[in-house]
Amino acid sequence: MTVLHKKLFRSLLRSWAESLAVIMVVLCGTASYICLHSCYLNLALTRDTYYAQNRLADFEIMLERAPANAIFKVEEIPGVRKARARMVKDVNVDIEGVEEPRVGRIISMPVPRRPVMNDVVVMEGRYFEPGVQDEVIVSDSFARLNKLAIGDRLGISVEEKKYSLRIVGYGLSPEYVYMIRTLQEMVPAPERFGILWVPKHFAETALDMKEACNNILGEVDDPKELDAILDRADKVLDGYGVFAKVKQQDQISVRFLGDEIQGLAVNARITPTLFLAIAALILFVLLSRMVRMERTQIGLMKAYGYSDWSVALHYLQYGVILSAAGCLGGFALGQWMADGLIRVYVQLYQFPILESRIYPDVLARSLGIALAFGALGALLASIRAARIQPAESMRPEAPPLGHRVWLERVGPVWRNLGFTWKMIVRNIARNRFRAGLNVFGVAISTGLVIMGFFSLSGMEFWLRFQFQEVQREDVKISFQGERGKKTYYEMARFDHVRRVEPLLEYPFTITSDWRKKDTVVVGLPRGAEMQKLMTFKGKVVPVGESGIVLSDRLARILGVGVGDTIRLKPLMGRVEGEKRAVVRAVAQQFMGTNAYMDINALSRLLNQSFAMNAVLLRIDEDAKESVNREMKDVAGVASVVFNSDAYDSLVKTLAGSSRIMNLVVLLFAGVISFSIIYNVTSVALAERQRELASLRVLGLTTAEVGRVLYHENILLGLIGAAIGLPLGAGICWLLVKAYDTDLYRMPFYIESSAYVKAVLLTLVFVLMANLAVRRKILRLDLVEVLKERE
Amino acid sequence: MNTGNDTNHTDIFQIRGLAKDYQMGEVIVSALRGVSLSIRAGEFLVILGPSGSGKSTLLNIIGGLDSPTRGEVFFRDSDLAGYSEARRTRYRRQHIGFVFQFYNLMPNLTAEENVELATEISPDPLPPAKALEMVRLGERRAHFPSQLSGGEQQRVAIARAVAKRPEILLCDEPTGALDISTGKVVLDVLDNINRRFGTTLIVITHNASIGAMADRVVRMMDGQVRNIVENERRQSAEELDW
Repeated sequence: MTVLHKKLFRSLLRSWAESLAVIMVVLCGTASYICLHSCYLNLALTRDTYYAQNRLADFEIMLERAPANAIFKVEEIPGVRKARARMVKDVNVDIEGVEEPRVGRIISMPVPRRPVMNDVVVMEGRYFEPGVQDEVIVSDSFARLNKLAIGDRLGISVEEKKYSLRIVGYGLSPEYVYMIRTLQEMVPAPERFGILWVPKHFAETALDMKEACNNILGEVDDPKELDAILDRADKVLDGYGVFAKVKQQDQISVRFLGDEIQGLAVNARITPTLFLAIAALILFVLLSRMVRMERTQIGLMKAYGYSDWSVALHYLQYGVILSAAGCLGGFALGQWMADGLIRVYVQLYQFPILESRIYPDVLARSLGIALAFGALGALLASIRAARIQPAESMRPEAPPLGHRVWLERVGPVWRNLGFTWKMIVRNIARNRFRAGLNVFGVAISTGLVIMGFFSLSGMEFWLRFQFQEVQREDVKISFQGERGKKTYYEMARFDHVRRVEPLLEYPFTITSDWRKKDTVVVGLPRGAEMQKLMTFKGKVVPVGESGIVLSDRLARILGVGVGDTIRLKPLMGRVEGEKRAVVRAVAQQFMGTNAYMDINALSRLLNQSFAMNAVLLRIDEDAKESVNREMKDVAGVASVVFNSDAYDSLVKTLAGSSRIMNLVVLLFAGVISFSIIYNVTSVALAERQRELASLRVLGLTTAEVGRVLYHENILLGLIGAAIGLPLGAGICWLLVKAYDTDLYRMPFYIESSAYVKAVLLTLVFVLMANLAVRRKILRLDLVEVLKERE
Repeated sequence: MNTGNDTNHTDIFQIRGLAKDYQMGEVIVSALRGVSLSIRAGEFLVILGPSGSGKSTLLNIIGGLDSPTRGEVFFRDSDLAGYSEARRTRYRRQHIGFVFQFYNLMPNLTAEENVELATEISPDPLPPAKALEMVRLGERRAHFPSQLSGGEQQRVAIARAVAKRPEILLCDEPTGALDISTGKVVLDVLDNINRRFGTTLIVITHNASIGAMADRVVRMMDGQVRNIVENERRQSAEELDW
């Protein structure tokens, strides 16, 4: 160790609090980088190997009914490598002792086993035995949460007929990593919805589909050709009632998982960069001060013959050493957080394996990035150090030129200012750089804290909006296929049902010029109260008798606005031709890309006078169980979803994942804010030691000297916080933009309380920082300070 | 006044058995070892001594910047040794003006504003402009320190110290950073203040020739008073043989 290294370590020790602040910020930055990045890599790797090993299909065609040999027509399409016919159907599941309806999705599998696309991974138990029909493999989490043991029997009802199947295994599938039944559900409820893999012969019998299928999977040579291939398939399968053609990338589970991974990737880039940039800024402030203070020492070193380069290197090392220290802490914290986050993902996603690997290259990269930012922060200071001329440095630095403050020219104001405030105004006006840095630091802090509160309250706002404003029903009952008025009246007659509203959800291709989107159009009755369309500000958007209301995201995708005409083509059934509709209004939504029409108008588009495939119910309090019992006996009910259950599972999931993440973000924001403010305050104090000592000698009390400093810092803090408000809103807006996907988006909604809390918290930080430097004012050695030469 | 050795004049300070120890790691360094001294109101006292003789420590204790380890420092009737930090601050504010070798001006305040720093906290100050005129800087009061020479900056520091109308003006090597001619101007200003206002003036220096301007010269060595010499006649700054 050279003498310079000793000087380095002693300087670091002497300013331990400031150094620690830099280390903490770097630690937050690298920890978030490592956590988010390794989670991203783990998830992406697991997903890709899982998809490849179990041959996730490149496309899926859903149709009403086709002969099983229709797949040969599909395989003849150029570019298609292989196709698979299967039967898929949602059925009601009876579990002994469970009152709530359970929905199972039957998927037919070949017997004896052969490798197929979208294969089932048997986690426990076995595959079907040849010749036995009544066997079922149940999806893993559904089985566990409903306490279904291998060997138990499971009752299902298909089209009013009841069957009993013996559970032979627990399974998982790449098709259902994120297991929700429809897009509308958003969050998995694995105890209410499960996959039931059954032998092909059983499906043929139960669904009455001998040598037929309603679902075709396919593999292609080049996924880029998918659009053309699917258009051909549409023609080839004409007459079989094709209602959905889904590319792999549009498959529900793939999209959710993909969005999550994408979100991680975005986050892995934004958050650590922000944190490390702030670390660089703090370093810059700290080291610039150090170089100014050590001017004479630097000159002396050079006079002895140290080169510019070795002097520059000396100061660069501060940045590098602090960054390295922060990075080492970040390794541990980041890895620990990554393990925790992966555990959250295990709850949310159904993977056969989910590795939490340590990625040496991520660690190496985080070190590299942290060091780079550290060096960047130290760069300007070391360049300045290198430029110092030995002879010149022995003389005091040219004092700053003073100027008059404009406020001084406003006589009446100036004369009425107290002594303290005159001092403060002059200080700020004549040390604009230092004051600016202080304001800037506080502004960033406020912005960060707003970001922290925003991610926390954004979710709550989202939940409130969705479940208190938009989905106001108690129960949603979906049917298999369309129903008429009769079922509607039937529903209204049930006990405990206070209000019924019909709903028709139908898939369409909506086009406008060359823009095109497959989505669901929802038919609502006039004066619908249980499903409302609104703006985020809470204004209700009515669905008129004619015309169509688009969700904001859909309007953007189609590039249309109010008054424009769009074309609609049903994706299901045997309705021919395109219909037109005028966009009446745009409603704001956080989920999906739906469109909305009057239910009668939508029925007419399908050549019917009235059709519905779901009802929304408002029921008596505590009537959940009896409604459940009643619905269990209604034929053709596909699902019964209680709003409270959906809400609960959402809250549970969010409490598990997002809440923890957001709390971490808020915590990090707090640590970083305090670090910035503490360092800026402490550097400002160090630069003014001499001034403050002079004041003390003149007879100002510590309280009076402190007042000048505190009032100035609080004033600058207030200005900074005021600038931080729009800055924070800007950061949040960027986050909203970064996370915007078809499935869901974050509301750009910052509660006013978040602003208030951020400002208050920032001011608390300012006060804490001032309190922390207070001991330095108290300990100020007047004699020593004043005897040093300037 | 200030001529004979009779006991008729009032003593402003009565210092008895003053000692100051500094703990430097494991070693105790004694900066003062039993100093006894009376300082008369309105006199010009020069304390001479090499560095390490304890003269600065003595000045700092008299000025209320530091407190003694043992001994008494009576300012009129009260012992500074028993003062709390807050009381010492008040004492400095009401009675003491300080001038240091380095001028310690606020670089971002004009000459006049630097003086205002003192007048703002004083109950009956000189107008800042008047204080600057006294140090012959009336013309330059709107200048910032960077626009003034070293001697001028020191005179601003003196103006700042006397603007409070202190009874005692303490100067630690006031000419230490100045050349001969500017140093003489500064000394002349100090001498003038002492004569016009009757301000007790204590100057510490290692420049023995300055002693010729004083009423009395105290020589210090190793933390003790070696001797005290009373001058027959006070020379003017102009007459000094530097």
